[in-house]
Amino acid sequence: MSHDSVEWEETDDVLTIRKYFSNIFKGFFSCLKGLSITTRYIWAEKPVTIEYPEVKEILPERSRSRLFNDVDDCISCTQCALACPVDCIYIDSEKREETEPQLKTSNGMPIKLNLTQFSIDTALCCYCGLCTTVCPTECLTHTTDYEYSQFTLASMKYDYLDEDVKSWKSRLKK
Amino acid sequence: MSHDNKTEQTVLVDELEGLKTDLLTLNMGPQHPATHGVLRIEIKTDSEIIASAKPYLGYLHRCMEKHSENLDYRGIIPFVDRMDYLAAMNQELGYCIAVEKMLNLEIPRRAEVIRVICAELGRIASHLMFFGTYLIDLGAFTPFLYAFNEREKILRLFEEVSGARLLYNYIWIGGVWNDFTSEHLTRVGEICDALHQQLSQYENLVTGNQIFLGRVSNVAVMNEELCYAYGATGPVLRGAGVKWDLRKNRPYSIYPELDFDIPVGKGEMGTLGDCYDRYYVRMMEMRESIKILRQCLDLIEEGPIMAKVPKVLKLPPGEIYHRTEAARGELGIHLISEGEKKPYRLKIKSPCFTHVSMLPAVAKGLMIADFVAAVGSIDIVLGEVDR
Repeated sequence: MSHDSVEWEETDDVLTIRKYFSNIFKGFFSCLKGLSITTRYIWAEKPVTIEYPEVKEILPERSRSRLFNDVDDCISCTQCALACPVDCIYIDSEKREETEPQLKTSNGMPIKLNLTQFSIDTALCCYCGLCTTVCPTECLTHTTDYEYSQFTLASMKYDYLDEDVKSWKSRLKK
Repeated sequence: MSHDNKTEQTVLVDELEGLKTDLLTLNMGPQHPATHGVLRIEIKTDSEIIASAKPYLGYLHRCMEKHSENLDYRGIIPFVDRMDYLAAMNQELGYCIAVEKMLNLEIPRRAEVIRVICAELGRIASHLMFFGTYLIDLGAFTPFLYAFNEREKILRLFEEVSGARLLYNYIWIGGVWNDFTSEHLTRVGEICDALHQQLSQYENLVTGNQIFLGRVSNVAVMNEELCYAYGATGPVLRGAGVKWDLRKNRPYSIYPELDFDIPVGKGEMGTLGDCYDRYYVRMMEMRESIKILRQCLDLIEEGPIMAKVPKVLKLPPGEIYHRTEAARGELGIHLISEGEKKPYRLKIKSPCFTHVSMLPAVAKGLMIADFVAAVGSIDIVLGEVDR
């Protein structure tokens, strides 16, 4: 028994009166050191937060937010739908009759197909940006518009042939 | 001892036997702020002391590996991002290097340097996140706000360069998507300077704090033998005092040219391999990352950022296992190709999965509050555990 107790006293774990008080002092002064930093922040540092609804952040130009397709430039090549890793782009087209007048995109590519459906399910979209990189006419782009929450999932599916959606062009196109 | 004493003792034991209670089963999670996501740990407690802990996984399982079998090699990158969403750059780097090794692709010098800059910034952002959330776990809220202030600068830079704040899809097979402008590179330097200053402030605020030390020293000791037995990597292994970093020991990319140290735990505030050592290793790693970033800014030169990669990517048949040092440990990518556009199999070895499996080994005998400190100190991301 006596041998055990001697060994016990030799370890650091035993709490002496001196240690008890030095612990309290150490704790007090280390907290004071931290508090001096936090107190400095009250006056010396400016707030960094943005008060959102009043002040709106302008996203960087490369920022990948809501997708927009300029359907007038689209040649229905379906490369974006193939590149999409989550398959959220739906494209349908039919062959353009020879009697119809010839159309060209803004960068000079002939339009050989009539686009009948171009919709993107934004609820599925993962905003990876792979569809925009493969687009040959650069009509499908990510915009910096980020305020488009909806009440239902179904309304997250945008039909880009719709007149309402077409009218975004003036507002969103970079 | 006398005969009388013995009978007295047995009577006492009998009384205590009558009072003996069952162990209390307590579910920590899946919706618990200290589990960093959706991890459920079934704890059996004897009053405040934990008798056993058993983690249950799968709440964030999204079949990433199976999905990858139906995607082309470029389409997998956004999925790889979503595993470890706090250090997505490091995951992309690991995957892209594995694919490039299969293709025998030579990466342009500028792209290599940009990749290392991104990976190190990602590591810093991830460790800052650890610093903030770990102290929230321990009951200190203010450091979280300071850490997020610094992290926000890095995320903003990433957003300007790649277009996204967390899920970048920036490192591509053969190079990187966008180029860093000279303005962006100056910003990296500014972030380094500001962070260097902030880190010493964090040390004053937290590392020396007696209450913090009381919470983390001698808690949940993961020593060298335990780390080897479970296969721990990264800061957990280095916290046990093992000098092992894939950036030095199995170098890839431009890491052999860079000069940096591997911080290891020293057991300064208690036992070697306790929560403090894992915290200390991460804080020192941020300093090393700053060192690497400053060297990269000197190394960067003008040039192309993408190698020539065929439009339809087909890998030669074969398989590869490549490992890189991600923010949380060793990330292994095992890729099997059969010469098709899609991989035959993509297996990902995640460091967090290994570290979660170490929890039952250290849980026994800990207080519940100390167990929270133990879970926080291994810095898990459940997206990576479940994939």
